[in-house]
Amino acid sequence: MSATSSPKKVLIVDDSKVSRMVIKAHILAAYPDWSVQEAASGEEAIGAVERDLPDYCTMDINMPGMLGTDAAEIILAKHPQLRIVIFSANIQEAAQSRAQQLGALFVAKPVTEKSIAQAIGHFARGA
Amino acid sequence: MKVLSEIQLDALTEVFNVGAGRAALSLSEIVGEEVMLSVPSIEVLKAEEVNSRVLTLKDDKFAIVSQLFSGPFDAEAVLLFTENYALEIVRDMMGSQMSIEDLAEFEQEAMCELGNIILNACLSAMADMLGISLNSSLPTYAMSSPDEITTRLAEKGVEDGDSSYILVLHIDLVLEKHHTEGHLIFLLSSTSLSKLISHIQQYLNNIL
Repeated sequence: MSATSSPKKVLIVDDSKVSRMVIKAHILAAYPDWSVQEAASGEEAIGAVERDLPDYCTMDINMPGMLGTDAAEIILAKHPQLRIVIFSANIQEAAQSRAQQLGALFVAKPVTEKSIAQAIGHFARGA
Repeated sequence: MKVLSEIQLDALTEVFNVGAGRAALSLSEIVGEEVMLSVPSIEVLKAEEVNSRVLTLKDDKFAIVSQLFSGPFDAEAVLLFTENYALEIVRDMMGSQMSIEDLAEFEQEAMCELGNIILNACLSAMADMLGISLNSSLPTYAMSSPDEITTRLAEKGVEDGDSSYILVLHIDLVLEKHHTEGHLIFLLSSTSLSKLISHIQQYLNNIL
Protein backbone atom coordinates (compact mmCIF):
# COMPACT_ATOMS: atom_id res chain seq x y z
CA MET A 1 0.00 0.00 0.00
CA SER A 2 1.54 3.31 -0.96
CA ALA A 3 -0.39 6.04 0.72
CA THR A 4 1.92 8.93 0.18
CA SER A 5 4.85 10.29 -1.66
CA SER A 6 6.38 12.14 1.28
CA PRO A 7 6.90 10.92 4.85
CA LYS A 8 4.01 11.76 7.15
CA LYS A 9 3.69 12.65 10.81
CA VAL A 10 1.31 10.66 13.01
CA LEU A 11 0.17 11.48 16.52
CA ILE A 12 -0.92 8.44 18.59
CA VAL A 13 -3.19 9.30 21.51
CA ASP A 14 -3.96 6.55 24.06
CA ASP A 15 -3.64 6.25 27.83
CA SER A 16 -2.50 2.64 27.37
CA LYS A 17 1.22 2.49 26.66
CA VAL A 18 0.78 -1.01 25.22
CA SER A 19 -1.79 0.26 22.71
CA ARG A 20 0.50 3.13 21.70
CA MET A 21 3.42 0.73 21.24
CA VAL A 22 1.37 -1.64 19.08
CA ILE A 23 -0.07 1.13 16.88
CA LYS A 24 3.39 2.67 16.49
CA ALA A 25 5.04 -0.66 15.63
CA HIS A 26 2.47 -1.43 12.92
CA ILE A 27 2.58 2.04 11.38
CA LEU A 28 6.38 2.04 11.27
CA ALA A 29 6.38 -1.48 9.82
CA ALA A 30 4.24 -0.21 6.92
CA TYR A 31 5.90 3.20 6.62
CA PRO A 32 9.40 3.17 8.14
CA ASP A 33 10.03 6.80 7.18
CA TRP A 34 6.98 8.24 8.96
CA SER A 35 7.53 10.03 12.24
CA VAL A 36 5.41 9.19 15.27
CA GLN A 37 4.55 11.30 18.29
CA GLU A 38 2.65 10.01 21.32
CA ALA A 39 0.23 11.54 23.83
CA ALA A 40 -1.43 9.85 26.83
CA SER A 41 -4.47 12.12 27.16
CA GLY A 42 -6.72 14.45 25.18
CA GLU A 43 -5.12 17.48 26.82
CA GLU A 44 -1.63 16.29 25.87
CA ALA A 45 -2.84 15.66 22.32
CA ILE A 46 -4.11 19.23 21.92
CA GLY A 47 -0.73 20.53 23.15
CA ALA A 48 1.18 18.18 20.85
CA VAL A 49 -0.85 19.29 17.81
CA GLU A 50 -0.09 22.95 18.59
CA ARG A 51 3.64 22.27 18.96
CA ASP A 52 4.03 20.14 15.85
CA LEU A 53 1.05 19.68 13.55
CA PRO A 54 0.74 16.03 12.44
CA ASP A 55 -0.85 14.82 9.19
CA TYR A 56 -2.72 11.98 10.89
CA CYS A 57 -3.89 11.11 14.38
CA THR A 58 -5.20 8.00 16.16
CA MET A 59 -7.35 8.85 19.18
CA ASP A 60 -8.61 6.68 22.05
CA ILE A 61 -11.92 7.82 23.64
CA ASN A 62 -11.88 6.67 27.26
CA MET A 63 -8.87 8.34 28.91
CA PRO A 64 -8.23 10.16 32.18
CA GLY A 65 -9.27 13.80 31.77
CA MET A 66 -11.19 14.78 28.66
CA LEU A 67 -12.78 12.32 26.26
CA GLY A 68 -10.81 11.63 23.10
CA THR A 69 -13.81 12.61 20.99
CA ASP A 70 -13.90 16.02 22.74
CA ALA A 71 -10.17 16.47 22.10
CA ALA A 72 -10.68 15.47 18.46
CA GLU A 73 -13.45 18.04 18.08
CA ILE A 74 -11.20 20.82 19.44
CA ILE A 75 -8.31 19.75 17.21
CA LEU A 76 -10.47 19.45 14.08
CA ALA A 77 -12.05 22.88 14.66
CA LYS A 78 -8.59 24.42 14.23
CA HIS A 79 -7.10 21.89 11.83
CA PRO A 80 -9.89 20.45 9.70
CA GLN A 81 -7.41 18.92 7.24
CA LEU A 82 -6.05 16.54 9.90
CA ARG A 83 -7.29 12.97 9.40
CA ILE A 84 -8.31 11.30 12.64
CA VAL A 85 -9.10 7.69 13.44
CA ILE A 86 -10.98 7.05 16.69
CA PHE A 87 -9.77 3.78 18.25
CA SER A 88 -12.14 2.74 20.99
CA ALA A 89 -13.11 -0.16 23.22
CA ASN A 90 -16.42 1.62 23.78
CA ILE A 91 -18.21 0.22 20.74
CA GLN A 92 -21.69 1.52 21.53
CA GLU A 93 -23.69 3.22 18.80
CA ALA A 94 -23.39 6.59 20.58
CA ALA A 95 -19.58 6.50 20.46
CA GLN A 96 -19.54 5.43 16.80
CA SER A 97 -21.95 8.13 15.68
CA ARG A 98 -20.00 10.78 17.60
CA ALA A 99 -16.89 9.78 15.62
CA GLN A 100 -18.83 9.94 12.35
CA GLN A 101 -20.20 13.39 13.17
CA LEU A 102 -16.63 14.56 13.61
CA GLY A 103 -15.72 13.17 10.20
CA ALA A 104 -13.37 10.67 11.82
CA LEU A 105 -13.21 6.93 11.16
CA PHE A 106 -14.33 4.73 14.06
CA VAL A 107 -12.27 1.59 14.59
CA ALA A 108 -13.15 -0.92 17.33
CA LYS A 109 -10.43 -2.01 19.75
CA PRO A 110 -8.53 -4.25 20.40
CA VAL A 111 -5.65 -2.79 18.47
CA THR A 112 -4.65 -5.53 16.02
CA GLU A 113 -2.96 -5.73 12.65
CA LYS A 114 -6.42 -5.72 11.04
CA SER A 115 -7.74 -2.67 12.92
CA ILE A 116 -4.53 -0.74 12.25
CA ALA A 117 -4.80 -1.60 8.54
CA GLN A 118 -8.27 0.05 8.59
CA ALA A 119 -6.74 3.16 10.15
CA ILE A 120 -3.90 3.30 7.64
CA GLY A 121 -6.44 2.90 4.83
CA HIS A 122 -8.33 5.93 6.15
CA PHE A 123 -5.11 7.94 6.26
CA ALA A 124 -4.21 6.87 2.73
CA ARG A 125 -7.57 8.00 1.34
CA GLY A 126 -6.81 11.51 2.53
CA ALA A 127 -3.35 11.67 1.03
CA MET B 1 3.29 -6.17 46.73
CA LYS B 2 4.08 -6.07 43.05
CA VAL B 3 2.57 -9.02 41.24
CA LEU B 4 2.45 -7.52 37.77
CA SER B 5 5.03 -5.37 35.99
CA GLU B 6 3.93 -1.97 34.78
CA ILE B 7 3.61 -3.08 31.17
CA GLN B 8 1.72 -6.27 32.14
CA LEU B 9 -0.68 -4.19 34.20
CA ASP B 10 -1.16 -1.84 31.25
CA ALA B 11 -1.89 -4.78 28.93
CA LEU B 12 -4.28 -6.42 31.40
CA THR B 13 -6.11 -3.12 31.90
CA GLU B 14 -6.46 -2.75 28.13
CA VAL B 15 -7.81 -6.31 27.86
CA PHE B 16 -10.46 -5.49 30.48
CA ASN B 17 -11.10 -2.16 28.78
CA VAL B 18 -12.06 -3.99 25.58
CA GLY B 19 -14.09 -6.47 27.65
CA ALA B 20 -15.95 -3.72 29.48
CA GLY B 21 -16.60 -2.02 26.13
CA ARG B 22 -18.30 -5.19 24.85
CA ALA B 23 -20.19 -5.56 28.11
CA ALA B 24 -21.39 -1.96 27.86
CA LEU B 25 -22.60 -2.56 24.30
CA SER B 26 -24.63 -5.58 25.47
CA LEU B 27 -26.02 -3.66 28.42
CA SER B 28 -26.92 -0.61 26.30
CA GLU B 29 -28.82 -2.85 23.90
CA ILE B 30 -30.77 -4.32 26.82
CA VAL B 31 -31.68 -1.07 28.56
CA GLY B 32 -31.92 1.09 25.43
CA GLU B 33 -29.62 3.87 26.57
CA GLU B 34 -25.97 4.75 26.41
CA VAL B 35 -23.83 3.27 29.16
CA MET B 36 -21.16 5.66 30.41
CA LEU B 37 -17.86 3.86 31.00
CA SER B 38 -15.18 5.04 33.37
CA VAL B 39 -11.48 4.60 32.66
CA PRO B 40 -10.68 1.16 34.09
CA SER B 41 -8.04 0.54 36.70
CA ILE B 42 -6.83 -2.69 38.26
CA GLU B 43 -5.67 -3.61 41.72
CA VAL B 44 -4.29 -6.97 42.77
CA LEU B 45 -4.86 -7.65 46.48
CA LYS B 46 -4.44 -10.55 48.83
CA ALA B 47 -7.89 -11.89 49.72
CA GLU B 48 -7.49 -10.89 53.36
CA GLU B 49 -6.65 -7.29 52.41
CA VAL B 50 -10.00 -6.79 50.79
CA ASN B 51 -12.48 -4.57 52.57
CA SER B 52 -15.41 -2.48 51.45
CA ARG B 53 -13.22 0.63 51.24
CA VAL B 54 -10.89 -1.06 48.74
CA LEU B 55 -13.87 -2.16 46.70
CA THR B 56 -15.27 1.39 46.93
CA LEU B 57 -18.69 0.06 47.77
CA LYS B 58 -20.62 3.04 49.04
CA ASP B 59 -24.15 1.68 48.94
CA ASP B 60 -25.78 -0.46 51.62
CA LYS B 61 -27.00 -3.27 49.41
CA PHE B 62 -25.85 -4.73 46.15
CA ALA B 63 -27.33 -7.10 43.64
CA ILE B 64 -24.58 -9.60 42.89
CA VAL B 65 -24.24 -11.99 40.01
CA SER B 66 -21.27 -14.30 40.07
CA GLN B 67 -20.01 -16.89 37.66
CA LEU B 68 -17.09 -19.30 37.64
CA PHE B 69 -14.84 -19.31 34.60
CA SER B 70 -12.42 -22.16 33.94
CA GLY B 71 -9.77 -22.83 31.33
CA PRO B 72 -6.01 -22.20 31.37
CA PHE B 73 -6.78 -20.41 34.64
CA ASP B 74 -9.84 -20.36 36.89
CA ALA B 75 -11.55 -17.21 38.08
CA GLU B 76 -14.75 -16.17 39.75
CA ALA B 77 -16.20 -13.10 38.09
CA VAL B 78 -18.53 -11.01 40.21
CA LEU B 79 -20.75 -8.25 38.97
CA LEU B 80 -22.22 -5.81 41.49
CA PHE B 81 -25.13 -3.50 40.84
CA THR B 82 -26.56 -0.98 43.27
CA GLU B 83 -29.69 -2.67 44.51
CA ASN B 84 -32.48 -0.16 44.11
CA TYR B 85 -32.32 -0.01 40.37
CA ALA B 86 -31.56 -3.63 39.57
CA LEU B 87 -35.28 -4.29 39.16
CA GLU B 88 -35.67 -1.38 36.77
CA ILE B 89 -32.98 -2.85 34.56
CA VAL B 90 -34.83 -6.14 34.69
CA ARG B 91 -38.00 -4.35 33.61
CA ASP B 92 -36.25 -2.82 30.60
CA MET B 93 -34.76 -6.16 29.79
CA MET B 94 -38.14 -7.91 29.83
CA GLY B 95 -39.51 -5.10 27.68
CA SER B 96 -42.89 -5.38 29.33
CA GLN B 97 -45.41 -3.21 31.07
CA MET B 98 -45.25 -5.37 34.17
CA SER B 99 -45.24 -3.68 37.54
CA ILE B 100 -42.12 -3.78 39.69
CA GLU B 101 -44.01 -6.08 42.11
CA ASP B 102 -44.81 -8.61 39.41
CA LEU B 103 -41.29 -8.41 38.15
CA ALA B 104 -39.84 -9.39 41.51
CA GLU B 105 -40.87 -12.94 40.62
CA PHE B 106 -38.51 -12.92 37.65
CA GLU B 107 -35.78 -10.98 39.38
CA GLN B 108 -33.53 -13.93 40.16
CA GLU B 109 -33.68 -15.36 36.67
CA ALA B 110 -33.44 -12.04 34.86
CA MET B 111 -30.49 -10.77 36.91
CA CYS B 112 -28.68 -14.06 36.31
CA GLU B 113 -29.22 -13.66 32.59
CA LEU B 114 -28.11 -10.02 32.68
CA GLY B 115 -24.96 -10.98 34.60
CA ASN B 116 -24.37 -13.87 32.22
CA ILE B 117 -24.49 -11.53 29.21
CA ILE B 118 -22.23 -8.88 30.77
CA LEU B 119 -19.68 -11.23 32.35
CA ASN B 120 -19.44 -13.34 29.20
CA ALA B 121 -19.01 -10.24 27.01
CA CYS B 122 -16.10 -9.21 29.24
CA LEU B 123 -14.51 -12.65 29.55
CA SER B 124 -14.94 -13.51 25.87
CA ALA B 125 -12.99 -10.36 24.94
CA MET B 126 -10.25 -11.52 27.27
CA ALA B 127 -10.28 -15.04 25.80
CA ASP B 128 -10.15 -13.69 22.22
CA MET B 129 -7.30 -11.30 22.92
CA LEU B 130 -5.26 -13.85 24.85
CA GLY B 131 -6.06 -16.64 22.38
CA ILE B 132 -7.47 -18.94 25.03
CA SER B 133 -10.80 -20.61 25.68
CA LEU B 134 -12.78 -20.15 28.89
CA ASN B 135 -15.85 -22.09 30.01
CA SER B 136 -18.40 -20.56 32.32
CA SER B 137 -20.64 -22.05 34.98
CA LEU B 138 -24.26 -21.01 35.44
CA PRO B 139 -24.54 -17.64 37.14
CA THR B 140 -25.78 -17.26 40.69
CA TYR B 141 -27.58 -14.26 42.11
CA ALA B 142 -27.73 -12.80 45.60
CA MET B 143 -28.37 -9.58 47.49
CA SER B 144 -25.59 -8.61 49.87
CA SER B 145 -24.18 -5.78 51.93
CA PRO B 146 -20.58 -4.60 51.29
CA ASP B 147 -19.47 -6.34 54.52
CA GLU B 148 -21.03 -9.62 53.45
CA ILE B 149 -19.35 -9.30 50.07
CA THR B 150 -15.88 -8.68 51.47
CA THR B 151 -16.26 -11.39 54.14
CA ARG B 152 -17.28 -13.87 51.47
CA LEU B 153 -14.37 -12.92 49.21
CA ALA B 154 -11.89 -13.24 52.08
CA GLU B 155 -13.36 -16.61 53.12
CA LYS B 156 -13.26 -17.85 49.56
CA GLY B 157 -9.59 -16.90 49.48
CA VAL B 158 -8.85 -18.99 52.56
CA GLU B 159 -10.89 -21.93 51.22
CA ASP B 160 -8.84 -22.02 48.04
CA GLY B 161 -5.83 -22.80 50.17
CA ASP B 162 -3.01 -21.38 48.10
CA SER B 163 -3.60 -17.80 49.32
CA SER B 164 -6.00 -16.32 46.79
CA TYR B 165 -5.70 -12.98 45.15
CA ILE B 166 -8.47 -10.67 44.26
CA LEU B 167 -8.13 -8.81 41.04
CA VAL B 168 -10.34 -5.80 41.46
CA LEU B 169 -11.30 -4.18 38.23
CA HIS B 170 -12.55 -0.71 38.99
CA ILE B 171 -14.83 0.16 36.16
CA ASP B 172 -18.10 1.93 36.48
CA LEU B 173 -20.88 1.26 34.04
CA VAL B 174 -23.21 4.17 34.65
CA LEU B 175 -26.77 4.24 33.39
CA GLU B 176 -27.95 7.80 33.73
CA LYS B 177 -31.63 7.09 33.33
CA HIS B 178 -31.46 4.37 35.95
CA HIS B 179 -29.01 6.11 38.29
CA THR B 180 -27.21 2.87 38.72
CA GLU B 181 -23.61 1.74 38.68
CA GLY B 182 -21.97 -1.62 38.11
CA HIS B 183 -18.65 -2.88 39.43
CA LEU B 184 -16.65 -5.90 38.31
CA ILE B 185 -14.44 -8.03 40.52
CA PHE B 186 -12.34 -11.09 39.67
CA LEU B 187 -11.20 -13.62 42.20
CA LEU B 188 -8.23 -15.81 41.32
CA SER B 189 -6.03 -18.17 43.29
CA SER B 190 -2.32 -17.36 43.19
CA THR B 191 -1.78 -20.32 40.83
CA SER B 192 -4.43 -18.98 38.46
CA LEU B 193 -3.09 -15.46 38.74
CA SER B 194 0.40 -16.56 37.70
CA LYS B 195 -1.12 -18.45 34.75
CA LEU B 196 -3.07 -15.33 33.77
CA ILE B 197 0.14 -13.28 34.00
CA SER B 198 2.00 -15.72 31.77
CA HIS B 199 -0.80 -15.42 29.18
CA ILE B 200 -0.57 -11.64 29.40
CA GLN B 201 3.18 -11.91 28.85
CA GLN B 202 2.62 -14.15 25.80
CA TYR B 203 0.12 -11.64 24.47
CA LEU B 204 2.73 -8.88 24.91
CA ASN B 205 5.41 -11.00 23.24
CA ASN B 206 3.13 -11.56 20.26
CA ILE B 207 2.10 -7.96 19.71
CA LEU B 208 5.34 -6.13 20.44
